[in-house]
Amino acid sequence: MEAFVPNEPPTFEQLMLPHLDAAYNLATWLLRDRHDAEDAVQDACLRAYKALDRFRGDDGRAWLLTIVRNVCYTKMRQDRRGPEEVLFEDEVHGSTQGVANANAVAWSEFKGELLQKGLERLAPEYREVIVLHEIEGLAYKEIASVSGIPIGTVMSRLARARGRLQTEILTLAGKEST
Amino acid sequence: MNCDEISRLLEANCDGELDLVRQLELEAHLRSCPDCALQAKAIAARRNALRDSLPRFTAPSQFRERIRSLIRAEEAPRRAVRRPPIHWSYLSLGGMAASIALAIAVGYNLGISRAHSNALLDEAVSDHVRSLQAGHLMDVISTDQHTVKPWFIGKLDFSPPVVDLADVGFPLAGGRLERIDGRPAAALVFRLRLHSINVFVWPANSGEIPMRDGRENGYNARSWSQGGLNFLAVSEISSAELGQFIEEFRKRTE
Repeated sequence: MEAFVPNEPPTFEQLMLPHLDAAYNLATWLLRDRHDAEDAVQDACLRAYKALDRFRGDDGRAWLLTIVRNVCYTKMRQDRRGPEEVLFEDEVHGSTQGVANANAVAWSEFKGELLQKGLERLAPEYREVIVLHEIEGLAYKEIASVSGIPIGTVMSRLARARGRLQTEILTLAGKEST
Repeated sequence: MNCDEISRLLEANCDGELDLVRQLELEAHLRSCPDCALQAKAIAARRNALRDSLPRFTAPSQFRERIRSLIRAEEAPRRAVRRPPIHWSYLSLGGMAASIALAIAVGYNLGISRAHSNALLDEAVSDHVRSLQAGHLMDVISTDQHTVKPWFIGKLDFSPPVVDLADVGFPLAGGRLERIDGRPAAALVFRLRLHSINVFVWPANSGEIPMRDGRENGYNARSWSQGGLNFLAVSEISSAELGQFIEEFRKRTE
């Protein structure tokens, strides 16, 4: 947490540009296209700049990521390309389904490309929590603020997303070996 | 906790999201239960694989430059100084104004800026909300101050003042460990009717918190410091009731 000098508000560059990689990473994973991601991040940065007055100075990263997320979802809604994604549903109760047979999975043997392919096949809501937690290292509390959901939902959504990802990866690995 | 309850908490534990008390309880269980321990190991292996192998896409330098010049172009008609945050207002209780001004000045001198204390109030409000959502309001449940106070010993490097205010309508309900401002803090829980009041207490050695009043999403918060400790009370009860509570609390703890 930074202590700002009250009379000299930090500039947008100081506040937001350090989080440009995080913004770009989230947008690329959500939109699965680097050009679309650049457009979305650029749009998000301009929105963030214009709304800087409303930023209260505690977590620039979460604030920028929230805007990026919203821009990406708007874009995805606009050009929905058919039901190629794994169905998304939040469960009311935290699900640890699929964890039990995680025992049998030799995670260290999977290549990075396989994990990436698996993650790309998940619904955006699942991709989002995995990217925010596993790649960007956000805590549940921060994810709750970026994704606009209660902390309990973050916990169950993340558990479900990991379970789904595990299933996808096992399916892909099975196809590769046959 | 039984195996079912444990298995629901394994992922949160692996993510470092459990409170200290439940974490210790879970670790004790894992030492004695091979099934759950195996599951915990699998969860950790999966987490490590994801962390190590998923790529992070970084912004190309050309793109970074484009954003920078875009913002500079927007900035050209240089904006006036940013409005101060509107969500939190300073206490303004007539005669107290002078002493409050002093308290605020002291806060600044000690390095706690307005933005920082805003962030603290925000953090406390979300801790309060989370404690209600997660059903994790208390680690030690007791209406007896002589049970609650010793409970904190050994868990914190300071001793929070614990008082019962049942006789004035705010019974003590218990306490738990929290983190605030990046360090361990005590959270004392009081009741008013069906509502709860969280009082966060932590040492002021990194800077005394100025006396502030805040309101966010229907929650009222007030901060002060006394006797080398910082205090932050948060509740959904009205600002007047919270004020009354704090007056009683300070009377007993000063």
